Amino acid sequence: MQKYLIETRQLTRRFGARLAVDNLNLQAPEAGVYGFLGPNGAGKTTAIRMLLGLIRADAGEVHLFGAPLVANRRQLMRRVGALVEAPSLYPHLTGRENLEVTRRMLGAPHALIDRALDIIKLTGDAHRRVREYSLGMRQRLGLALALLNSPDLLILDEPTNGLDPAGIHEMRDLLRRLPAEFGVTVFLSSHLLSEVEQIASHIGIIHGGRLLFQGTLSELQDKHRAQLTIGVNQPERAIHSLVAAGWGVQIRADGLLGVNAKTAEDAIRINNLLISQSLEVFHLAQAQVSLEDIFLTLTGGKAAAGREM
Amino acid sequence: MSIFRVLHAELLKLKRTLALRVIFVLPLLVALLQFFALWRTRKFGADFHLWETLPKNMLGIWAVFMMPLLIALETALLGGIEHSDRQWKHIFALPIPRHTVYLAKFVVAQVLIAASTLFLCVLTVLIGLAIMRLRPELAQQGPVAYGWLAKYAAFVWLAAWLIIAIHTWVSTRWAGFALALGTGIGGTFFALFAASASLGKYYPWLLPMNVFTGERFTAALLLGGAGGAIAALLGCLEFVRRDVN
Repeated sequence: MQKYLIETRQLTRRFGARLAVDNLNLQAPEAGVYGFLGPNGAGKTTAIRMLLGLIRADAGEVHLFGAPLVANRRQLMRRVGALVEAPSLYPHLTGRENLEVTRRMLGAPHALIDRALDIIKLTGDAHRRVREYSLGMRQRLGLALALLNSPDLLILDEPTNGLDPAGIHEMRDLLRRLPAEFGVTVFLSSHLLSEVEQIASHIGIIHGGRLLFQGTLSELQDKHRAQLTIGVNQPERAIHSLVAAGWGVQIRADGLLGVNAKTAEDAIRINNLLISQSLEVFHLAQAQVSLEDIFLTLTGGKAAAGREM
Repeated sequence: MSIFRVLHAELLKLKRTLALRVIFVLPLLVALLQFFALWRTRKFGADFHLWETLPKNMLGIWAVFMMPLLIALETALLGGIEHSDRQWKHIFALPIPRHTVYLAKFVVAQVLIAASTLFLCVLTVLIGLAIMRLRPELAQQGPVAYGWLAKYAAFVWLAAWLIIAIHTWVSTRWAGFALALGTGIGGTFFALFAASASLGKYYPWLLPMNVFTGERFTAALLLGGAGGAIAALLGCLEFVRRDVN
């Protein structure tokens, strides 16, 4: 039986008349990176706040490491590190002092501060006050706070928000390293689809508070496999031949033909068929569908709309 | 114990903050006021007793005016440390009992007010000694009233617990200085009217002053001390159930 580090059952939360999270059934497996995707206002932050016990659910349950959160909050939170939206830092203290505040509250060993600073590569700037930090450094320090207690599960809400491309690249590399080098499972929310696509092994897509998809990246891409696009000198004849062979064909706006072919073998078979009909093929390509395309399809193309919660 | 760990963390948060500096500033203002008032007095009456008048004046101004304002300011600053970068969401996600976070805030506010009151006492002694040197006619004013000063400083501080509890709750509940300071200024302002009313002995912002009046002394200490502890617990109950956005 699959072991889930995060499991929610019918998790629901309303804000007044608005249903922010609607019967959410998340299942994030151990190890790897789980990308929790959704446009702004989809319910990601509300869901994450319920995962951390920051707000209460109107209905449903949160289970972490197989145990219910409500009855075991403190024990479970010892194994969880979190960064919700912008990092919560004390600007008048240095980076090291910020970590020391949390270390004292946790009663953790001093050595963990150096370890956390080393992981996020902030040792050299740890003596500087946080008010002098760039946004990227603040974000990394926020991650160091989350990593301080050597968590098994890291819950991050939009960790690349507001970062410049270099900062995003840096954060992405860091998040990619965590499961492999430190055995940390990362649960990461984002509306930056391209980011999640590059680091997540599992994803969940939420929209309007409801989970639209959950599974591995390849499962998602298999469900929304790309079309084979074909350029041929006599399109009408090609359509006739392909339809006769049982393929579904559409004429695309750019004049190319779109065929619902899923594998490389299909592409070879179709190419041979067209050549055997004395047709001249000048274009044959499997269009790569990005996660963003799939996401836009699933969420009705409203990724950029909505309101941040 | 978690409470000591959280208190230990609270001490570090105070580093380089106005919250730490202001505990010295307000007593200094009271002290300067009293120093110049005594120094510039043209003629002291025959029944003038420096070590009766000075401590009463210092602690009186402190109890009725400066300390309530200091409490409002201190608790607003302590709460502001957590509101400024939305620290509550980080703290509430830590594996520590939430009530320790609230009680630590209350205790730190109490300790800072106590430290400030103690500093006022030190300044009282220093001013008295300085005035005895500057005004030769007061040179023989007798021993410093250490006992009275220490006792009544402790009473004033204990009677202020209820104000500290009210302000701790307000400053952790809402971000921004306006409400926290407004509560303090409003509370202190209405104390002027409540002082003469019979119910004045129950008015939180008058309790520290009431320790100087015989008939209100017991009520001031009971309501201030025990009432403050109960109010802190009630605030704590609300705090631990709070949603963090």
